[in-house]
Amino acid sequence: MSVNSTIAAGHSATLRRAALVGYLPLAIFVVLLVYLSFTAPNYFSFQSLDLILRQAIPTVVVCLGLSAVVMAGGNDVVSGGIDLSIPATAVLSAAIIADQVTNHGTPIALALAMALIAALLVGAANAVLVVRIGMTPLLATLSSSVAVVGIVKVITSSRRINVDHPAVVWLRDGSIAGVSVGVILTTLIFLIFFFAVHRTRWGMNLQAVGGSRDAAEISGIPTGRFLSQSFVVAAFAGGLASMFVLARGSGSTPGTEENLLLEMVLATFLGAAFSPRRVVTLWGAVLGAVLVTALSIGFKSIGVNVFWTGCIKGALILVVVASASLSLKASARGSAG
Amino acid sequence: MSLVSDSDTFSLRSFLVRYGFLVIIAAFFAFFSLYTGSFLSGTNLLNIIEGSSILLILALGMTLVVALGGIDLSVGIAFDMGAAFAIVAMKEYDAAWYVAILIGIGGGVLVGLLNAFLVVKLSVSPFLATLGTFFIGSSVQRIFTGGGGPISHRQAPMEYRNLAIGDVFGIPSEVIIAAVVLLIYFIFLERSIFGKRIHAIGLQKTAALVAGIKVNKYIALGFIIAAATCAIGGMIGSANLRMFTPLAGFSYLLDAIAAVFIGASIHPHGRPNVPGTLIGVLFLGMVANGLNLMGLDFNTKDALSGLILVGALAIAVAQKRLR
Repeated sequence: MSVNSTIAAGHSATLRRAALVGYLPLAIFVVLLVYLSFTAPNYFSFQSLDLILRQAIPTVVVCLGLSAVVMAGGNDVVSGGIDLSIPATAVLSAAIIADQVTNHGTPIALALAMALIAALLVGAANAVLVVRIGMTPLLATLSSSVAVVGIVKVITSSRRINVDHPAVVWLRDGSIAGVSVGVILTTLIFLIFFFAVHRTRWGMNLQAVGGSRDAAEISGIPTGRFLSQSFVVAAFAGGLASMFVLARGSGSTPGTEENLLLEMVLATFLGAAFSPRRVVTLWGAVLGAVLVTALSIGFKSIGVNVFWTGCIKGALILVVVASASLSLKASARGSAG
Repeated sequence: MSLVSDSDTFSLRSFLVRYGFLVIIAAFFAFFSLYTGSFLSGTNLLNIIEGSSILLILALGMTLVVALGGIDLSVGIAFDMGAAFAIVAMKEYDAAWYVAILIGIGGGVLVGLLNAFLVVKLSVSPFLATLGTFFIGSSVQRIFTGGGGPISHRQAPMEYRNLAIGDVFGIPSEVIIAAVVLLIYFIFLERSIFGKRIHAIGLQKTAALVAGIKVNKYIALGFIIAAATCAIGGMIGSANLRMFTPLAGFSYLLDAIAAVFIGASIHPHGRPNVPGTLIGVLFLGMVANGLNLMGLDFNTKDALSGLILVGALAIAVAQKRLR
């Protein structure tokens, strides 16, 4: 065997190992789901699938928003694009709707409009902080989410507000041809996002900005404008998610944003680990959100102590992200030589 | 290059660039002094300093990690672990107070070791690694305490309680501990060759590596030292209440990050630095104290302090950018 082919064989072995490590996250999920399907009663039934999807809805919608920001800002968590304020925005919008509908008798359409405007304002504030003032997105959105949660406390006086408006109940319980209304609407929102990001000039430019800001700038794309727009889009997604947050909780509950934030970050970066290039994608985010919810519900139904859920989620995100970065490193080493 | 234009004419822009954030601090100081009668009294100013001690300790740990180019979302977990290990060691195993303190620091070191392992060995980004540590650490505390109930130890030795309630010549012991930590961090980070190397790693990791700095060793040690520092803060907190309160450290996370970034923004080169962090911590402590004295309702206070935080950070960063 010649020296060259030995080296080549070595490289392909490294690459194969890289690919194997890369499949680890998916493999872990498959193993867990198979395990759950044997232990949890009726885990793979239509009802539980429907339940999983319905539970996952708010996370899916905020994940779509976060994906847009990450696509425009780049994949690096600290210096690139991230928006930690989307869950807080969703909870703000939910609080506005709940307060208006229940306490002031405002028609729900008007309340929703007010909530969406508030969400857009948060998005605009984020855009100003990041693009105009030059704060890192992590810092800007972390601090704006604290301010937004503070405003939510003022609106709700840190109390739960029940909402029994027919529209919210319909969103929670209604179904068309056997499929939940929420699932249908979320699919619609996903398709709109997918079309906007992957099938329009705007989406192409947005992804170009995230891919390489310098290159996009040189090609004449106004990068600042696209970054700003991504934050506004994300906040709008948060505003839309508010209706599903209300439906899932039958009202606005203080503290909802914390769990939503954890699930959003987990699902979105989990999704990145599933994608071949390890980048955040819309499909990946949705898949991540559904899988995380599937596991949560599965563990609950086999009676795993609820306190363990955080531990399991934390370990999952670490295993997934570590195997993704290790496989990326290994494949870089394999193809570099 | 700006010697000629700026030296003889007063320019508002260059004034704001240089002193913008200090103007904000002075404005808040003046406002609270005028609006509330009790703000500008010796005891209250000492209150502010005492109330900022624990945050300062955590923010210093954060400064170290951010100076290395990372971020630590698990400072609160290290805080909790310090408190939990020390309290449990005294309550369940009758450990002497100084043994308990060492065990508490050990609890923090464990958190730092996990972070270091994830970041250096598994090359997970610091944000996601410490987020994972945060999930796991929170969950472990819930499991251990059966859902988050506090573990109280009323008979904690006086020496341990003195971490929080003691004083030396009238100066509260937590202020002294914070001052010692501050001094050590200042010498270590701003006046030693280690500090130079740490800043070099944070500025340009590859260049630091090429220059022969053992980057991974520094990053690993950085996470461990930061977590051990936070554990000290946790023990002071637990000494004050004579109990371990699960998940109490979380409330310091955002303030610690904010203080570090305020400090970085007023540094000539925008670097995280020890004196800047001190200014950031005192600013946040002053605002919290002032809003308390104004007697606002709890929810309004939360909203206002959130908005002030955003505004202060925005001004600090804008100031850095104008420069």
